[in-house]
Amino acid sequence: MYKLILKMAWKNSFLRPARTLLVITMIAVSMSMMLAIQGLYDGMVKNMIDKNKRSGSGDISLYAQDYRVEKDIKYIIKDALKIKEDIQKLEGVKAVVLRLLADGLLSTARKSSFASIHGIDLNEEEEFGEFSKFLKQGEINLNKRGALIGIELAKTLKVRVGSKIIFSAQDSSGDINSIALRVRGILQTTNVGLDTNSIFVDIKSLHKFLGTSSKDATQIAVMGEDEKLLHVVKSNYSNLDVKSFLELQPMIKQMQEMMVIFNSITFFIVMSVVFIGIFGVVYVSILDRIREFGILLGIGMQYKYIRVQIFLESIIVGLIGYLGGAVLGIVFLVYLRDYGLDLSSFSDALEMWGYEAVITGTIKVSYFTSTFWAIITASVLSVIIPLRKIKKLNPIEVIKAEK
Amino acid sequence: MFSFALKNILFYKGRSITTFILTFISAMFFVVFVSWQDGSHNSMLENSLKIYTGAIEIYHKDYRNVGGNEYLIPDAKSITDKLSSIEGIEAFSTRYETYGLLSSKEHSAASMVAGIEPEKEKVLSSIALSLRDGEFLDKNSANCLYAGVELVKKLKLHVGDEVTFVGGASDDSFAADIFKLCGTFKTGSFEFDSTASFVSRAYFDELMYAKNMASYITIKVKNLDGVDRVNSEISKVLDDEDLESLTWKTLMKTMVEAMEVDNVFGYISLSLFLVVIFFVIMIYGFINVSSRIKEFGVLKCIGLSRANIFSLLFFEIFILSSAAIVLATPIAGYICYYYTINPIVIEGFAEMYKDYGVVSNEMPFDFNIYTMSWNLGLIYILNFLSILYPYFYINSYEPIEASRHV
Amino acid sequence: MRRIILPILMMTTLLIASEAENIIKKLDDNMRGQNIYMQISMKISSLSHVRTMKMQSYSQGTKKSFVKIIYPPREKGITFLSLDNQMWQYVPKIERVIKIPPSMMLQKWMGSDITNDDMVKQSSIVEDYDPKIIKRDGSVVTIELTPKEDAAVVWGKIITNIDTTTYTSKKDIFYDEDNKEVRYFIYDKVKKFGKYYLPTYWRVQSSDKENRYTEIILEEVEYDRDISDMYFQNSALKRFSR
Repeated sequence: MYKLILKMAWKNSFLRPARTLLVITMIAVSMSMMLAIQGLYDGMVKNMIDKNKRSGSGDISLYAQDYRVEKDIKYIIKDALKIKEDIQKLEGVKAVVLRLLADGLLSTARKSSFASIHGIDLNEEEEFGEFSKFLKQGEINLNKRGALIGIELAKTLKVRVGSKIIFSAQDSSGDINSIALRVRGILQTTNVGLDTNSIFVDIKSLHKFLGTSSKDATQIAVMGEDEKLLHVVKSNYSNLDVKSFLELQPMIKQMQEMMVIFNSITFFIVMSVVFIGIFGVVYVSILDRIREFGILLGIGMQYKYIRVQIFLESIIVGLIGYLGGAVLGIVFLVYLRDYGLDLSSFSDALEMWGYEAVITGTIKVSYFTSTFWAIITASVLSVIIPLRKIKKLNPIEVIKAEK
Repeated sequence: MFSFALKNILFYKGRSITTFILTFISAMFFVVFVSWQDGSHNSMLENSLKIYTGAIEIYHKDYRNVGGNEYLIPDAKSITDKLSSIEGIEAFSTRYETYGLLSSKEHSAASMVAGIEPEKEKVLSSIALSLRDGEFLDKNSANCLYAGVELVKKLKLHVGDEVTFVGGASDDSFAADIFKLCGTFKTGSFEFDSTASFVSRAYFDELMYAKNMASYITIKVKNLDGVDRVNSEISKVLDDEDLESLTWKTLMKTMVEAMEVDNVFGYISLSLFLVVIFFVIMIYGFINVSSRIKEFGVLKCIGLSRANIFSLLFFEIFILSSAAIVLATPIAGYICYYYTINPIVIEGFAEMYKDYGVVSNEMPFDFNIYTMSWNLGLIYILNFLSILYPYFYINSYEPIEASRHV
Repeated sequence: MRRIILPILMMTTLLIASEAENIIKKLDDNMRGQNIYMQISMKISSLSHVRTMKMQSYSQGTKKSFVKIIYPPREKGITFLSLDNQMWQYVPKIERVIKIPPSMMLQKWMGSDITNDDMVKQSSIVEDYDPKIIKRDGSVVTIELTPKEDAAVVWGKIITNIDTTTYTSKKDIFYDEDNKEVRYFIYDKVKKFGKYYLPTYWRVQSSDKENRYTEIILEEVEYDRDISDMYFQNSALKRFSR
């Protein structure tokens, strides 16, 4: 029996092909646009967070107490090397790096600018956050007094790959020291602080320059998303300043929350309107066939079968619409993921806020599952009122009456 | 045709009501959303501007690029005299900014020390309003220093303490003095609060040999929307190729772009909404038309032309849209107007977004007839577009075929 | 003003070709123990105005120096003390001694064309550059100085014209890395002080802007004068300010 119902539902759905097609198109287009937008927004935020973590603090950062306020070389983590080794053994830790930081003056023959110097270990940074991906020009090479410079700083000082720059700062004994460096590459991390202010050199060279021990470091950055990890690190190293990424950047947390709210609202509004569309069509299609239903009831067809048929009709349309939307959506999302949306004319502002000029989207399974349920729900809900109309039918009256 | 359309509308209530409601909602939503977006942008802008940057500022060319005492405005009065004749300027003031070292007993910090005209600044910027402790300056403040709270924290000072100032005068000679901290301010912008401090020009000019000189002249306009017009008048009046007059659009270029980005995203989301509504209106229109195929067939048989059919459909949608929009306009307009005057206040909003330069908890709307008109116009156009497909659908049937349609 | 002394030392010790290296080192060592007193007049010209200052400078080797400004009256009595890498300043008007933080020390000195490179340089031209003779014209030898790979100097190269009769430079031209001229020093009015010749007129000129320059005239120079250690203590700042 149900096989028959299914067949009838299928045939009936396409009774008026143009009409059905319109609904399917509506569902498909709305859904795919919505998926694309969600992907875009989520992509933006994810991108920003990701870059920030990789170039900056990682998931967790450790500093000596007061360092972040005073920013003086004397606030250094002693025996950082040992701490790093211990942390690496903890569960959930993906990578740990040591960094040495100092503030000073960066000069060329024509210009000087205040800057921060970051001593890093290239191989470890590569493992930590794919450091080489930040390279915009030149090459990733810190050999022979090589330095990598943030793109905005390079613009301010008017330096290029190959330029010589002199960095002067107070070392650990209070003396002012200078070191000659060659720009080997220009970086763009979209981490605003780094791009406008920082140069990167080999950590061992920087230790020598500052006169600090290679066992110490200014910052220990940890990659590892485990919730418990943060607690463990905080309790193990309570004498140090231990902060998670979100604690260091509360702004981003809020941005994430805003995105979720925003996406949910959009989703809800769009689905409601889709519901209205499906409802109208279903209602009219039932009204059109009221005589047929009356006849069916009259010849003894049970109401429940008719109910199932109506549900099926609506669900069929919903599903086909969903599939269309999913296919189109995938096309959009893949395009956005691989090519991105080019907003480079707004690049100044975007980069200031830490976004890239070309925004890539992400694809999440949840997009598809949540829209699936939403469409099914809309389809199912939309038949309720029309069904009641059928229920109240008096078969004889219907057959007798003119349309 | 028109009366025919009217009858149809009243007869086919289902379609009419749904179309009416959808158009009404989309019009309202569109207008209110855009008004809110524009309003909050304007407010963000005004608030950032109010802190310190002027709507228009007059500089010596090269001051912003190169800086230094070489590019100061040597005769500020000759410029300010010309300004008083320009309509649209609400207030102006001269500022002499310099960078120097402020030292307390144990701590030193580099700071921007600016000589200002306190009476004028009260009108122009919000530094006087941002007072935290002590008092703001007036022209008799002598060596009083008015400094940002973060700067004061760095130097570990209290109101009443002495602060040493060391820097370069306008002729590069050595300048040093002892100031007294008379007041502190908090604008909410961390960078500003940790590097800025102010002294009354009456006193500072003596120390700096800067009488009648200025780093730049800052101007407040009566209406932000007309800023470009006022700026071009100023340029004409200045008549000096060494000077340039810039609006906030150049001075705060990044903020302008940030707003544009926000707009882009806002419109993207809005377009999604409108697309969906467009489809639904079209679907209802289509259903309505497809159930009247027989009717249309008969009409065509008795001689109604395609043009007539078209105008019938057109009038139907016209009446519905207009009714909806006519109803929506005053309501949306009122909402916009109301919230323009009484902005929505979200407590804590400024605290959350202070790093983005948001300093106020208010979110006003923007009441702009031009914007509202094009918003509504777009809704109209969408509605008219929605009858196209149904129209073609009708024409795909031969009249005889149509009149026999079941 | 030991910073001015360094270039002086370099000019007077620079000899031709690599045979010079041993001799330079000896002379260099020789110079280090010296006490030098100078009275200097400095004229600083920029786009908008011209300013003149006079000061007295006492220095011991390269690590200690004491400077007092004696003209103009407005700035008279301001004293600077520099010991190793630290610098203090006393301003009589406000009766305060201020320690100059390292960041300010790296900036231009009082608006003149003397840059941080001059101020902070520890090593000598001998250590940081490789000399090469490129021209001989009578007694004037033109030498091109190229910085060594690791030398912490901002210049791309320096071309110096040395008068071998006095072993003083007549003109030094400083180039950036792209071989464009940035500034030049002109030396004139060479006088003899004991065993050494010294130009008593210097001019530092920006290559781009004609009226941006700093002129230094050494009005009095005394080598090997007895300079009391009292000048190189913090108490000197106030004591010798009057």
